[in-house]
Amino acid sequence: MTGPANRTGPRALEVTEITKRYGPVVALRGVSLALDYGEVLGLVGDNGAGKSTLISIISGVARPDSGEIRVDGRPWAEAGARTTREAGIETVFQNLALVPTLSIVENMYLGRELYGPGPIATTLHRIDKRRMRREVEQAFERLGLQMPAVTSKAGSLSGGQRQAVAVARAVLWGSRVVIMDEPAAALGVQQTEAVLGLITKLRREGIGTILVSHNMDHVLKVADRVAVLRLGRKIADLDMRERPVTGMELVGLITGATPGMS
Amino acid sequence: MLQVIRSRRGVPRPQRTHSSLRRLGAAQGGGLWVALILLSLYFSWSTGSFFTQSNLLVVLEQVSVVGMVAVPGAMLLVSGNLDLSVGSVAGLSAAMFGEFDKIFGWPMLLSFAGALLVGAAWGTMNGVLVSYLGFSPVIVTLGGYAGAAGLAQTITSDTTRSGFGALFGQLGNGTLAGIPVPGVIFLVVFLAGTFVWYETRTGRHLIAIGANKEAATALGVASRRLPCVIYIISGTAAALGGLIVTSQLDGASVQIGVGLELQVLTAILLGGVAFTGGRGSLWGTLAGILFIGVLDDGLILINVGPYVADLAVGAALVVAAALDVLYQRLERMPVQESAETDAAADGTGFIAAAEPVVAQRLAGPSDAGDGREAGA
Repeated sequence: MTGPANRTGPRALEVTEITKRYGPVVALRGVSLALDYGEVLGLVGDNGAGKSTLISIISGVARPDSGEIRVDGRPWAEAGARTTREAGIETVFQNLALVPTLSIVENMYLGRELYGPGPIATTLHRIDKRRMRREVEQAFERLGLQMPAVTSKAGSLSGGQRQAVAVARAVLWGSRVVIMDEPAAALGVQQTEAVLGLITKLRREGIGTILVSHNMDHVLKVADRVAVLRLGRKIADLDMRERPVTGMELVGLITGATPGMS
Repeated sequence: MLQVIRSRRGVPRPQRTHSSLRRLGAAQGGGLWVALILLSLYFSWSTGSFFTQSNLLVVLEQVSVVGMVAVPGAMLLVSGNLDLSVGSVAGLSAAMFGEFDKIFGWPMLLSFAGALLVGAAWGTMNGVLVSYLGFSPVIVTLGGYAGAAGLAQTITSDTTRSGFGALFGQLGNGTLAGIPVPGVIFLVVFLAGTFVWYETRTGRHLIAIGANKEAATALGVASRRLPCVIYIISGTAAALGGLIVTSQLDGASVQIGVGLELQVLTAILLGGVAFTGGRGSLWGTLAGILFIGVLDDGLILINVGPYVADLAVGAALVVAAALDVLYQRLERMPVQESAETDAAADGTGFIAAAEPVVAQRLAGPSDAGDGREAGA
């Protein structure tokens, strides 16, 4: 952690004692996690450690059985997918969450369509297709994204292009926290570098980022802190700004070779 | 690196051949429009009385009940839902109108509202069971298909009530500016439907729910509430359709609406809405509605029995299924392989080192900056 002494304002995100059961299976056992603005948190753990469950709870897709979520210091009781997005928390889901039969623009704006132009159209909830198309084109231009026409259906895109749309959507809308669940899964070496560069940029912009990855090199490269989950518990929360962390150390914690805290 | 990126920037257009093929595939509804025009021209040529105002108004009136139910029906199908109960709900609402008006002695307008509420209530039940409790739409509404008909027969003891007065007769037999009232109602429902489908977020959300419900939910789309609302509209539209037929017959019979669900489904599928959801157009559905209407009408004009019409509709459905397969193949074709391989080769196809990305974000919550500086 940054060290309480250095912090002044509220944290971007704070989850406390989150527990989640799926029937007899306990996916999360009292996990607490904090994320500051402008901080990159690596979240690692073996399959079944509870990473995805934690991500779906933070992104409002799943509800915890117990525990508290605070966004910008405020209790986040009405956690739902829509309200979470409205609070500026965006997620790149592992499955990308794209609709193949909708266009790139429609996917970028799904759930947050713009109304207009003009008061009548806004009152009627008429969507402003032209403006959304233009904004997406400009955003891709700024992000340096080479994409086919933004009216192309997402289903016609290649794996890398789909990933690009999903990452771009989160980066453009996430004003507080961006969660990336294996964002580089379908990407080549240089594209992966670009995503990691983007995370560094999010940090510079003051956005909190959570990076879930199986790739220790990626995590060690961009993260300020690493939290390790094992069997539904957080067993380590290492601040790499205080002392360097090695991949071997993380692998030991993930597999259980190193017991970690508890 | 930046220089490389800049030099490669620019939005490549999709390859021409693929995009035109795609358009052809997307024209499944469009192909039906062509078939519809050819069919109309044929009937016009062989009878000479097809393109008369009176005949076209007959066609409009004939398709209006199926049409007004098919509008919410297409919305349900594209969202991965289905309402097979519409025919029986139309019959139940008609029967309940007869009961309200004749047995309960309610004023006509109150009976009318009550009958519409019966349809809305049945739609609510469908919506809650399917959307909120996760029951299979086919099973729930197939149950409704049997259940609503059985309920109507039980309540009315299979008795047809009649004599609802001149005002109620206007609903099915009256005209507005020369257009039959049922046709006017259908056109209003359809125009409202096209606005919702093409100009509001609801249209996109329905497609998103049908194509990838999990993703839609994760992005905050109301993937339970929205289909539930459409089920309610579907039930209400079915009730309205049943009341229109009641008015035309001046008789509230439980036989009203028999087979309506299959006519509606046929029109929607002909129009190119995918049976599995996620893809389709409301204009295509209109073409499907009109195709069946024109076929029925034209075959009567040229004195061919109604069985030939059934045969022709069946054949058209198989053609639509074939086009559906073709469209799905086209859809899987990548838009532009050349640009993609270029991009993969030098890595610039992906997000590159653009300047302040997030500062220029499109828009964000206005208070997004709160405490932003704190942790850094």
